[in-house]
Amino acid sequence: MELLTNPLSLSILLPAAAGLAIFAIPRENSGALKGFTLAASLLTFLISLRLWSGFDPGAAAFQFTLDQSWLPSYGINYFLGIDGVSLLMILLTTLLMPISVLASFSYIKENQRAYYACLLFLETGMIGVFAALDLFVFYLFWEAMLIPMYFLIGIWGGPRRIYAALKFFIYTMAGSVLMLAAILWVAAAQHAATGVWTFSIPALYGGALTLQAQFWLFAAFGLAFAVKVPLFPFHTWLPDAHVEAPTAGSVLLAGVLLKMGVYGYLRLAVPLFPQAAVTFAPWLAGLGVIGIIYGSLVAWSQHDMKKMVAYSSVAHLGIVMLGIMSFEPAAVSGAVLQMVNHGLSTGALFLLVGVLYERRHTRMIEDYGGLAKVMPGFAAVFMIVTLSSIGLPGLNGFIGEVLVLFGSFRVYPWLAGAAVAGVILSAVYMLGMYQQVVFGPLRHTENKILQDLNLREWLYLLPLLALIVLLGVWPNPFLKRTLPAVNNYITLSKQQPAPPPASVRIALDGEESK
Amino acid sequence: MTFDPVAYAASALAGPLLLVLAAFGCLLLPLFFKALRGTQGMIALGAVLVVLIFFRQAPPAQLSFFSGALNLSPLSSYLWAFAMGVLALFFALSLAKPPAPEGSEGEYYFLAFMATTGLLVMMAAGDLFTAFIALELLSLPVYALAGIRRSKPGIEAAYKYFMLGAFGSGMTVMGIAVLNALYPSLDFVALKAAAPAGQLALAGFLLVISGFAFKTALVPFHMWVPDAYEGAPTQVSAFMGAAVKAGGVVLLWRVFSLFDGGPIREIFWWLTVITAVFANLAALAQNGLKRLLAYSSIAHAGYIAVAFFGGQRGWEAVLYYLPVYAMATIGAFGVVLILEKDEKGPKIDDLAGLAKTRPWLAAAMAAFMFSLAGVPPLAGFFAKFYAFAGAVAGGYTSLVVIAVIMSAVSIYYYLRVTVVMYMKVPANGGDHPVEAPGLAEAVVFLMAAGVLLAGLFSRPLLALAAEASRWF
Repeated sequence: MELLTNPLSLSILLPAAAGLAIFAIPRENSGALKGFTLAASLLTFLISLRLWSGFDPGAAAFQFTLDQSWLPSYGINYFLGIDGVSLLMILLTTLLMPISVLASFSYIKENQRAYYACLLFLETGMIGVFAALDLFVFYLFWEAMLIPMYFLIGIWGGPRRIYAALKFFIYTMAGSVLMLAAILWVAAAQHAATGVWTFSIPALYGGALTLQAQFWLFAAFGLAFAVKVPLFPFHTWLPDAHVEAPTAGSVLLAGVLLKMGVYGYLRLAVPLFPQAAVTFAPWLAGLGVIGIIYGSLVAWSQHDMKKMVAYSSVAHLGIVMLGIMSFEPAAVSGAVLQMVNHGLSTGALFLLVGVLYERRHTRMIEDYGGLAKVMPGFAAVFMIVTLSSIGLPGLNGFIGEVLVLFGSFRVYPWLAGAAVAGVILSAVYMLGMYQQVVFGPLRHTENKILQDLNLREWLYLLPLLALIVLLGVWPNPFLKRTLPAVNNYITLSKQQPAPPPASVRIALDGEESK
Repeated sequence: MTFDPVAYAASALAGPLLLVLAAFGCLLLPLFFKALRGTQGMIALGAVLVVLIFFRQAPPAQLSFFSGALNLSPLSSYLWAFAMGVLALFFALSLAKPPAPEGSEGEYYFLAFMATTGLLVMMAAGDLFTAFIALELLSLPVYALAGIRRSKPGIEAAYKYFMLGAFGSGMTVMGIAVLNALYPSLDFVALKAAAPAGQLALAGFLLVISGFAFKTALVPFHMWVPDAYEGAPTQVSAFMGAAVKAGGVVLLWRVFSLFDGGPIREIFWWLTVITAVFANLAALAQNGLKRLLAYSSIAHAGYIAVAFFGGQRGWEAVLYYLPVYAMATIGAFGVVLILEKDEKGPKIDDLAGLAKTRPWLAAAMAAFMFSLAGVPPLAGFFAKFYAFAGAVAGGYTSLVVIAVIMSAVSIYYYLRVTVVMYMKVPANGGDHPVEAPGLAEAVVFLMAAGVLLAGLFSRPLLALAAEASRWF
């Protein structure tokens, strides 16, 4: 029964249950399908607010835990719990979901029932990844989420949707399978050392692993997460998937799915294998910075707005990676905040591009210009979001970026210095795009009749705007809640586990065992 | 209540005996009673259900019969129940769309019953020679079933299957002859206890293993599989994939477990790797759905072989893997059966637009594909997880790494089926049959429910498998 009374578990199960129940609604009844999905996602959001209100900001331990035996012979438990980082990620997910649903109302016209079911299943998978405290459960949600996202891109996407969907699925899966082998290895090593089978993440923290083993395990986990982040050079699936996905798919992809990669480093790769993490950290931070500069330069040269936003995600996530790989409290908190900021700003950017696309069916920057005259409301919103994305003080992006840069400067001065260049570049291309789309003369006659934002669009943009401003002027409630988690992360990353006794070492291969 | 082994044996062995009886019933009764002609399928399905009644609870211990030739234990009960389940599904598919030409129904069901009898004996065999006889009893009827339609692809399938299968049997019997000369007894327990003999014994075991690997379709003993699966009636392909393979797996596993290390393990290691790599690469190039499923079945034989290296846990995983794989593959062949217009079955591209014309059928097929690919939360993922967990714990990490990389490769060809169904526009307007036999659809949806639920709720099945695996 605790499965349903625990708000965490409920917020995972509810969307999936709604995704099944939606098939009871006749497929022609589009109004009911939309209303039902919106209601389910709003309800999930309300449940997740209960997590926020009941969350103890000072506690270092995981909260709202639920630990139910699932597959006892393997020691696998349905083990959930959140700290400050996962709390913010879950709230971001549950907030973006009703917004995505609202944004799909007029865009999705075919197969609506299956579409909304996919969105709901996706939500279950996303929340599950952030809530799981059992490696097996984590992997289960991590992979299961691919199926709805694959269909969202592949069925309701743009012209090159099949290519993009396949690339997305195969890249992510190929990156993740080695993580499966690594998960099994970690559990087996723990079993060899303690005689107990367990996949519980807190129990596996500080396990006795040799440096060599840690190296390979971190590599396997890190690859899976690097593909998802995406770190340069594993990012090539991202522009395709973002551009071809329907608006809601892009919002969730950028807003939530990319954060899972970073979250994976925070929750698993670094704390589980701290010694290897120290070896890898400068390289990952370096790849992050390459991503910042490369992503910015490529974004600069784009003519397609969606592609530009997609590449800007590579740059933003690069900053986040730089932050979490510096193991400095300020930088890690900033990176966590920046994860939320990126979800809000980039989510809003994709929504705004979607607004234009629904009206004009083009995403090319050249096809617009002078929109301030016909769509003043749109221009204002777009302005705020653009400024938030480039990190203007007073809006959310600023705090996160500054914290990351200040914190990481103490560890990687050169990398932090290079990252600043990327931040400047982001102002260049984002403002350039804004100028070409919104200002100037109305060159195209088709644009003269464009409607400004309607009520529904205001409805889903306003919450994002409010948070963008709120996080910019008053980030403390958010930062405060992440602090214990950030401290735990840094403590775990600094620990030096005792070398395991020789008897419990598992050989890397059959020939070496015994 | 005291346990009476004799009474138990009488009722347990009544199952296989009833199968033989039903076989002859299907063959002969319609000859004498005109009214029964054409109803053999119903008789067969009824008989299977009656046999299931005799599958009472498993014995509390291992019971040996016929001087150790047949061992009844919870393990054999588990495997027998699995075999009867597959047979029942096979009959349901056969009833839905009769594969045999008019007038051959009697033979068709006779052969199926005899093959299953062989399978049951094989699963409970206590020595190598009984296992071989049972293998022949299983194989010969299936050769004939593959060619029951006497059409060109059917005969080609039967011919290839028979030629290579007979070659494999020859190797097995040769190996048994060698071993018989070297060891005092061919009993599996005695073989395990006997001191390892020299080169000649190794040669004998290798011959035996080769023969069994033919049945399980490990590379390089797989050449018959694609043609046989493609040319045989689709129901028979499903039976081959689910049941014949299971029999081969059990035998291979018996031989494998005789060795704790040494060259035989190394050879198994290589067989496993070659199977996983080759089958998945070859499957990428397939266009026919039945051929795709054939290569997929070879690949899964490879994954099952990975579990061999996991000791006790590995056996448990294999016992869980077999029904999960059987559900996905029978379901997928069921979809093929519903859609096929000629004997070779549909091309993958013929599935275009299925999501529009038959959305639920497409959803079921997608579930089978994702399960075979091992994507959670479907049962196939859990099966692979258990299979690999034991091998990693046993120290065979490199084997598992190769297997997971190859299952990432396999994603491509399984996804291709879903791409075609959901994202491609049919070239010919998607002329999928609107009406399908209810029984075939029932089987497909039952299997789809199975692969959806057997993973997330794998505890009961896993517990049964664990209990059975203790009796190996």
